[in-house]
Amino acid sequence: MLDSYFPVLLFILVGLGVGIGPLVLGKILAPHKPNDQKNSPYECGFEAFEDARMKFDVRYYLVAILFILFDLEITFLFPWAVVLDSLGLQGFIVMMIFLGILVVGFIYEWKKGALDWE
Amino acid sequence: MIFTDYLFYLFSGILVLASLRVITANNPVYSALSLVLAFFSAAGIWLLLHAEFLAIALVLVYVGAVMVLFLFVVMMLDINIEALRQRFWSYFPVALLIALLFIFEIYLVVTDKFFSSSDPAGIPLEKSNTHSIGSVLYTDYLLPFQVAAVILLVAIISAIVLTMYGKKSHKAIDPKDQIKVNRNDRVRVVKMKSEKKK
Repeated sequence: MLDSYFPVLLFILVGLGVGIGPLVLGKILAPHKPNDQKNSPYECGFEAFEDARMKFDVRYYLVAILFILFDLEITFLFPWAVVLDSLGLQGFIVMMIFLGILVVGFIYEWKKGALDWE
Repeated sequence: MIFTDYLFYLFSGILVLASLRVITANNPVYSALSLVLAFFSAAGIWLLLHAEFLAIALVLVYVGAVMVLFLFVVMMLDINIEALRQRFWSYFPVALLIALLFIFEIYLVVTDKFFSSSDPAGIPLEKSNTHSIGSVLYTDYLLPFQVAAVILLVAIISAIVLTMYGKKSHKAIDPKDQIKVNRNDRVRVVKMKSEKKK
């Protein structure tokens, strides 16, 4: 079984190489002469006027949390899709109940306006 | 040693280093990114244990969704790192207590005194891991599966209830707000002397 994942391993290794290689080459080959002007944060020619960290609208997190929940729902669908042939009608009904419960949440979310962004 | 043994040591080495980096990095963004690396190496180890579905689910759910949320929160939170560091020693006794408790729990699990476990790599599966999970999850573990749906539903509703505010879909007045109205908020009686005609 692990043989079929060998391309994935190669892909990871090549990806790491492509990612790390240029950084290391740049570190070794490029001239390194920092000064105050170069080290200061650059913001289109004028002084930076506020910190990068600030209070954000909580709705960004709401979108992320809802994404996680529906991502988990999708995760349950993968093994179901693999074994559906042997499960038959019963397995189909079980998944429909599962999805039905979550659709209740989806309708609530939609009607409540959690997906709107005015 | 065969090739997979080398891979195991590679992944576990990266996992240990990344986990150490999570708790030692000064910048919380670096901690979160190290945690992503730790998840990836853990997924690699699970793959070596033939747990395909878990490995892919770890990458999809944790790296793809949970860590995105973490990074989101960590990058945008208004944290003063200096102020956090000053309170380190005042939290230390509680942290030490929790750490000792955690080490004790791990000891109980690892030493097999109270929890007996079989060798995870020693159970051969006739079919793939995903197939084995699917064949029991929707039949033998039907109730826990539906409970998972209810938990997800509760999570959806609570996330919306906790974070939604202000948006009104109708113009009717809420009776709760009507009852709370105080006379002094609405009417101000001003006493003043009557002015004389000139």
